[in-house]
Amino acid sequence: MSEVAQKVVDIIAREMKVEPGTIKLESSLEDLKIESLDVVQIVFAIEETFDITIPSNDKEYELKTVADIVRGVERLMAQKSGGAKPAAGPAA
Amino acid sequence: MRRVVVTGLGCVAPVGHSVPDFWNAVVAGKSAIGKYPQHVPELIAHVVLAPVLNFNADALFDSKKLILLDRFSQFALIAAREAVKDAGLELTEAERPRTAVVLGSGIGGNTTHDEQYQRLAKANNPRVHPLTIPRLMLNAATSQVTMEFGTTGPAYSISSACASANHAIGQAFWFVRSGLCDVALTGGSEACLTIGTIKAWEALRVMSNDTCRPFAKDRRGMVLGEGGAVIVIESLERAQARGARIYCEIAGFGMSSDAGDIVYPEEKGAASAMESALRDGGIAPDQVDYINAHGTGTAANDSTETGAIKRVFGDHARQLAISSTKSVHGHALGAAGAIEIIAAIKALETGTVPPTANYTEPDPQCDLDYVPNEARQKKVRAALSNSFAFGGLNAVIALRQLA
Repeated sequence: MSEVAQKVVDIIAREMKVEPGTIKLESSLEDLKIESLDVVQIVFAIEETFDITIPSNDKEYELKTVADIVRGVERLMAQKSGGAKPAAGPAA
Repeated sequence: MRRVVVTGLGCVAPVGHSVPDFWNAVVAGKSAIGKYPQHVPELIAHVVLAPVLNFNADALFDSKKLILLDRFSQFALIAAREAVKDAGLELTEAERPRTAVVLGSGIGGNTTHDEQYQRLAKANNPRVHPLTIPRLMLNAATSQVTMEFGTTGPAYSISSACASANHAIGQAFWFVRSGLCDVALTGGSEACLTIGTIKAWEALRVMSNDTCRPFAKDRRGMVLGEGGAVIVIESLERAQARGARIYCEIAGFGMSSDAGDIVYPEEKGAASAMESALRDGGIAPDQVDYINAHGTGTAANDSTETGAIKRVFGDHARQLAISSTKSVHGHALGAAGAIEIIAAIKALETGTVPPTANYTEPDPQCDLDYVPNEARQKKVRAALSNSFAFGGLNAVIALRQLA
């Protein structure tokens, strides 16, 4: 598991009060019983940790599985370090 | 119990600063929703909104008075002025203590809050304006209306998020129906397009990034709006005695709470509020021809509301015209029910049902008649105006033609 993936898993585990070992990359948020208000809190914690903004209402960032979140974070981190303009917000 | 009628209408909305302008835009499906980067700070320039533009408070209020008026109070006062004028309302000294003002707002003086806290936190200025409290308090709009029109009867504000105005109207309706009051000014106002509030809604990830498409398959969420609306209601006897023009009767009011989730709506709670409103008004489901839906354009609300309507109306659900005018004026939170009841009252008055604008394609989970994109001529005998708030607080007003 990459460093980003590990951090994402740790955040989800902390928010959901479960052991990180129970969370797999291929787990769907539904399987993990992560409901809509949990999702927004997890997204917020991830955004704060990585200093990124994850777009909402964007097909590129449909967050159905843990792997989706990790991929999204990695893409946004790459944009940031590559000097590309980070997303200004969910609707940008 | 006495019968209660609507005799005056007033509103300030993103699509018009008066009832005629508002109604023309709503019927035409002319949406005010869009991006307004030149009107908002850069941090929210990308957000899709429905703001009230060209509202010139300096021209509408004396400067000594304006210093006390948050934008949400300004909207309430301008709407109340139009409604009182429209009703031709004149109160005798004896009637003043028997006249109520009940207004809804979800947030209150949000603009004042934001401005003053920015002085402290951002500008590091040690002082805030001395009139901050009287401006921002949630009852400020109600109090300002009582002062302007000299009403001395029961007056207070009601806050139940997106159902605030419907709870207010329902309460005022019961005051007049019970005989406690003869007249009431009621409705709601909200001025919530501040950077703090918009950012907070954005963080909840329920805002659309194109437009508001209630009940459509590709709907993407809600769009924040703002505004205010006030109606004058009075007992049927009083209205008839003075030869007032009567728009319609307020027949019933229904309330419920989901006691479920803090943000996710429940079919049962919404259905219960609609059923209560019909029962309270003695209206049979098949007498209802139009529902002004809560219809926020979120995935959850619109399918849940559709299910609730089916639960209440059975086969008649397919005969109903249902529309969400939020597609035109956005979601004005605590003012939504007030702005939308104006549309429902006008539908009863004119026999024109306003459309759901921006409608694209049907969603299998929303399979009723939402009057897509084009207004429709249809006699409306009775109508419901729905508001379902975050926190699971539901309020529905039932209107009826005065037979």
